[in-house]
Amino acid sequence: MTGHEGKAPSAVTFHGSWTDFAKIALPNVLLTLVTLGVYRFWATTRERQYLWAQTRFIDEPLEWTGRGMELFIGFIMVFFLLGLPLIVMQLVINGLVFQGQPIIAGVIIFAMFLAIFYLTGLAYFRALRYRLSRTYWRGIRGGSDDQGFTYGWSYIWKNVVAAISLYLLYPWASMSLWNERWSKMSFGPYQFESNADWKALMKRYLLFYLVPFLIFVGAVALGIAAASSGEGGDPFSTAGGVAGAVAIFIGILGLYIVMPLAALLYYSKFMRVAIGALRLGDLEFDFTARSPDWILFWLANLAILMIAYGFAFAPFSLLIATDPTQFVQQMEAGESILSVGLVIGVLIAIIPIAFATSIIRYRSWKFFVVHTEAFGEVNLDRMTQSTTDSSSHGEGLLDAFDVGAI
Amino acid sequence: MTTFFDAWHFDGQSAVRRKVEIQAIGRQFYLLEPELRHGPFHFDELRFLEAKGDARVYGLAGKDGWRLGVRGHVPEDLAPLLPASKTYGGLIDRLGLGKASLVFAGISAAVVAVVLLSPQWLAPLIPSSVEAKLGNALVGDFGGRFCDTPQGKAALAKLTRSLDDNPKDLQVEIANIDMLNAVALPGGKVLLFQGLLDQAKSPDEVAGVLAHEIGHVRERHVMQGLLRQMGLAVVLGGFDGSGGSTLNSLLSTTYTRDSEREADDHSLKALKQANISPVGTADFFNRLASMDGSRDLKDRQARTMASYTSSHPLSDERRKLFEKAVVKGSAYKPALTSNEWRELKTMCAQDKDVKSGWGFDIE
Ligand SMILES: [Zn+2]
Repeated sequence: MTGHEGKAPSAVTFHGSWTDFAKIALPNVLLTLVTLGVYRFWATTRERQYLWAQTRFIDEPLEWTGRGMELFIGFIMVFFLLGLPLIVMQLVINGLVFQGQPIIAGVIIFAMFLAIFYLTGLAYFRALRYRLSRTYWRGIRGGSDDQGFTYGWSYIWKNVVAAISLYLLYPWASMSLWNERWSKMSFGPYQFESNADWKALMKRYLLFYLVPFLIFVGAVALGIAAASSGEGGDPFSTAGGVAGAVAIFIGILGLYIVMPLAALLYYSKFMRVAIGALRLGDLEFDFTARSPDWILFWLANLAILMIAYGFAFAPFSLLIATDPTQFVQQMEAGESILSVGLVIGVLIAIIPIAFATSIIRYRSWKFFVVHTEAFGEVNLDRMTQSTTDSSSHGEGLLDAFDVGAI
Repeated sequence: MTTFFDAWHFDGQSAVRRKVEIQAIGRQFYLLEPELRHGPFHFDELRFLEAKGDARVYGLAGKDGWRLGVRGHVPEDLAPLLPASKTYGGLIDRLGLGKASLVFAGISAAVVAVVLLSPQWLAPLIPSSVEAKLGNALVGDFGGRFCDTPQGKAALAKLTRSLDDNPKDLQVEIANIDMLNAVALPGGKVLLFQGLLDQAKSPDEVAGVLAHEIGHVRERHVMQGLLRQMGLAVVLGGFDGSGGSTLNSLLSTTYTRDSEREADDHSLKALKQANISPVGTADFFNRLASMDGSRDLKDRQARTMASYTSSHPLSDERRKLFEKAVVKGSAYKPALTSNEWRELKTMCAQDKDVKSGWGFDIE
């Protein structure tokens, strides 16, 4: 049989429904709770299985083949190889400081900081590699022949350069790291190519970069106006007082609304430029989400989280509101039944929050898939199996931390 | 439910989808295309991967990307040869979600109970030499911040002797740091900070606080607390985010509060045995109460919440505890003579080569 050629306008589609997803997410929350969090690796796996299976590329769904056990083993290994030494080092540093050895303590702290920085970069690389190697389409998977060790160093020095430039070169650092990361990845026989141009990001980035200055200047100008016009008297009844209040209002507005908005505008542009520059064989990609899409997406996420927190704290306020004096008396007596009640209360409060975060993960995946487009042709005969190593030990090692792959 | 049966195959070599028929021969099978035959494969090597609607997908052990998909009503003779579907996999499928959850909850409760209760009998099993080494590693000589004059040390030793029958395995030190605090550390180390001495109006106050810290040492609270914290951190480490740490602090705080009560009881007993008045300690807590605001908080509700979240019982409650212990008309004697008390209070000022403060400057 000869392979037919798949034409692909808007070839990536999503077919899931959040009610179906909830049937996976709710048992996940329950099992994670009763296993004190141990089940979450299997929960992640079941979530991804659903999300991948509901994502179609051209005519066939994706398939997630990662396993909960490999994430669990990865987590245990990281705990013993990294967590435990870190705790021991903390004790050693404490001891050194108390014993008046601040220089040695400082050197160790710097070395630890460097190691953690390196491992963070490595984690980003490995997470992407792991996810590609567990993603199948028509029986073909992705991966990378690179271990990511050089990427860890790039991560350090590019971030250092960004810091030296007072973060003016941050877009360059993040974009060149994106290019470096994706260029080392492959799917089937094809290597990803990525040469996104960071200069396209600068306008948005400068906007974000200058917002704090603009807010500061605005607040100062209003403050001066307030000082010059408000002469004596009750400061809040004069025009100067009003200007002062406006200055404070603008400051708060800037901090909680304008800053995140400016960051979102930049991020939106980043994703469009970065994914738009990605190539795989004859395939080109596009990411169509524009700033308003992102803003709506985040506002809805925020609303979901707030509702969840409302549900989480409802039992506590109920407990206090129904009979405050009784509650206080029991608390003062330190009755142990009450601390058992509190512990159970916290456990129950975890349910709505955990459920909401998995719904947000569903929405994020959907948002990502719906706005991703692919153009070009896939020759199915030439789309052969990846030769990258996929069975290496600890492949899921750093994905256990879920740093996010993109 | 559709009744037609449909099978497809990816060979894991290329992305070409093949419509196939399954030809079973005993425990083996072939996949047939119009002009091509794949196989033979073993049914035993088939692995269930996923179910979607009325379709199921199988993989083959050791063959990367090999897939066999079937949709619709599987023929009678083929059905028993295919591996069973899985929802959660393993144990949970066998028990059912409800039963499995109960089993897991039981195991989790047991593990937490062990972590909370076992330090009580585990801590005494740790050899005191190990504890002493741990204490030394943690603190050492505190970077030369321990104050030392012969008279001051003698006064401190007398105070310790009067409060404890076995002062040899205690190491009580005055640290030259301006902090209103005292701590008990592994290996019988007790540190009183100079700030506490500066604030104290009488040696009786210092005696009460010292006896409290010795109480922590004698009741083995230090290692217990350390073991419990470590155990909870491991057991609740599976939760990410704030849930785990909230639970951790809630569970360990309950125990810390119990420990504080035990140490206070120990302190009262030691004071009684030494015939030292608890009034001084009550005064001390009174001053502490006006600092932490527990006396002035009118709102009882807020006060209770504060007491539940802080690891130490409220200073105001402790003041009452020590006040109640005062026996009217009892002939108490001061914990130290005025001469000894002066030497103790000024020991850090007299010590020429002691280092001070938190500044870890290099000299
Ligand atoms: Zn204490």
